[in-house]
Amino acid sequence: MTNNPFPLSRDELLTAYRTMRTIRDFEERLHVEFAKGDIPGFVHLYAGEEACATGIMMHLTDIDRIASTHRGHGHCIAKGVDVHEMMGEIYGKVTGCCRGKGGSMHIADLSKGMMGANGILGAGAPLICGAGLAAKFRGDGGVGLTFFGDGAANQGTVLESMNLAAIWNLPVIFVVENNGYAESTSVEYATAVDSYVDRAAGFGLPGVTVDGTDFFAVYEAAGEIIKRAREGGGPALLECKTVRFFGHFEGDAQTYKAKGENDHNRAHRDCLKLFGARVTAAGVVSEADLALIDREVAALIDDAVETAKGAPLPGARDLTTDVYVAY
Amino acid sequence: MTSSTPPKVGIIANPISARDIRRVVASANSVQVADRANIVLRALAALAACGIEEVVMMPERGGIATHVLRGMERSNAQGEARFPRLTHLAMPVTGTVDDTRRAARMMREAGDIAAIIVLGGDGTHRAVVAECGQVPIAGISTGTNNAFPEHREPTITGLATGLAAMGQVPAALAFAANKLIEVRIDGGPPDIALVDVALVTDRFVGARALWRAETFRELYVAFADPEVIGMAAIAGLIEPVTRREPGGLALTLAPAATAPMVVHAPIAPGLVTPVGVESWRRMPSGTVFSPDIAAGSVALDGERELFFDGHQEVTITLQDAAFRTVDVAAVMAFAAREKLLLRHAAPTTHPAPPRAALLAGA
Repeated sequence: MTNNPFPLSRDELLTAYRTMRTIRDFEERLHVEFAKGDIPGFVHLYAGEEACATGIMMHLTDIDRIASTHRGHGHCIAKGVDVHEMMGEIYGKVTGCCRGKGGSMHIADLSKGMMGANGILGAGAPLICGAGLAAKFRGDGGVGLTFFGDGAANQGTVLESMNLAAIWNLPVIFVVENNGYAESTSVEYATAVDSYVDRAAGFGLPGVTVDGTDFFAVYEAAGEIIKRAREGGGPALLECKTVRFFGHFEGDAQTYKAKGENDHNRAHRDCLKLFGARVTAAGVVSEADLALIDREVAALIDDAVETAKGAPLPGARDLTTDVYVAY
Repeated sequence: MTSSTPPKVGIIANPISARDIRRVVASANSVQVADRANIVLRALAALAACGIEEVVMMPERGGIATHVLRGMERSNAQGEARFPRLTHLAMPVTGTVDDTRRAARMMREAGDIAAIIVLGGDGTHRAVVAECGQVPIAGISTGTNNAFPEHREPTITGLATGLAAMGQVPAALAFAANKLIEVRIDGGPPDIALVDVALVTDRFVGARALWRAETFRELYVAFADPEVIGMAAIAGLIEPVTRREPGGLALTLAPAATAPMVVHAPIAPGLVTPVGVESWRRMPSGTVFSPDIAAGSVALDGERELFFDGHQEVTITLQDAAFRTVDVAAVMAFAAREKLLLRHAAPTTHPAPPRAALLAGA
């Protein structure tokens, strides 16, 4: 394509769309399947926030580490974790990437640099400081990113980690996915200063706020921040203002949201629709290109669900395997 | 506004400006919410000193109002009472630029707002100007790209605004006319820029800011001061254009590697970069310019806001005398000349109000 006005090639644009579509379909399908009662534990869906994970992760390779959250499916997919293994893990089957022992909130794949989803709010921040310190010692140019929401941003662990990252000048990026709600509590109520850039400034870190529903805004800002960290520029904060289409957890009645809020967000702030409209209007990819990906992803998710359902559960003899690591 | 109505002053303080990528790609500062609140308190104290009794603020949820009210309560508890009465507009808060536009519109429609003090960068000022009509504004820079608001201690801006609003300075001297640039795509409603319009090759707004000079193609400036930061600096270092003279400047830009001239311009705080320049010409008021670039993005005052494709028609037009600002320098010079803030000794233990307040009956 000779007249591509975007900072990504046509193939990269299609990859970005495929990643976002995979996350969306994965989550929409879990919404349906969880209601059937076959999935153990809780699930927290990422639908609506796909541009954040995708726009950031397209700048990373397997040497880069991420520490995720309880809402981690999107981070896993964007970081390259196998969708079949993820689905198996969520169903608690031995085919899962953690042999079915972790479930939705503990999906991990170290081979992809995915250190794990995490059921403890704000717990990823100190972990990623360790990963950042290791990358700095190795000198391999790797970076670490930790994700957390507007609620976890108020946890002491996050603030302590920003301080640690600053004094050690770690290649670490703190990503706030601000979807406006800490579970059911509005960010305006629960946060004294609702600009997380101000928080970063308190530790001497540069901070940037972007529209988290705009893939290109996230991609462009994340690219500069990650490049800076790789080059030794140190830690920074990226705030993505985004939306979540579902509740905090599956089963959440969402009574704290305004009437019609989800419908409005799906109509006007859907990152997939916004992305698709922009790239097709520019003529870089066609509607048919996107429709083909839609079909392929739908088939992938169908197969992942059916495979997971048919896989065996862990047995009693699996109880003590893969629990400890021998050094 | 009628002469029997005590003049009010509006304040629009944007809690979310100065948060963009220029904190990473350049060395732009972050003005924290507590600092913004202190700026508001300084302006409020100055307004009260001039006799302004009531100030109307845009509501927000970013923390400015909370800090301001705490500061006022602390002052009142200490018996200082050095602030005017403060009210907030009754409007929903969205946390977006729509709040700024709505507040400016409501202040214009209220009819009793003599002037609006604006805290923000060029983007915030642009949003206010789009809606404030002929209500004059006084800018205080708390944004990233601050080419439009002049750098000045907010207390002085507050004093000048108070004196102008109270009618202590002749209007012809107190208020200045300003230029702006209109951009229309396919004849639609205009978007405006107060300082500059840049056309770049990116066809997406992305992180909005401009810092990759190789994408710059055309630049239109309402004024170009060699001391300003941002895109207007490119023009300011080639052919300065003052805020007050009619017309602006239009430049054709190109990648530095292929351009016949290269200017090293401070296009963002701490970012001095080579920018290729092919040519430039004056931009008379009212003349419609059609860009040569077929497709790209339109950056208003340094931020990509719109994109256009090859089949769309873009027009760019400069307007003289489009909106009014408080001429702080002129007002303060007049105040000194006419001794408006000179206090006379009085047989009282309380501090005497300044002459401006006495004249206003405060």
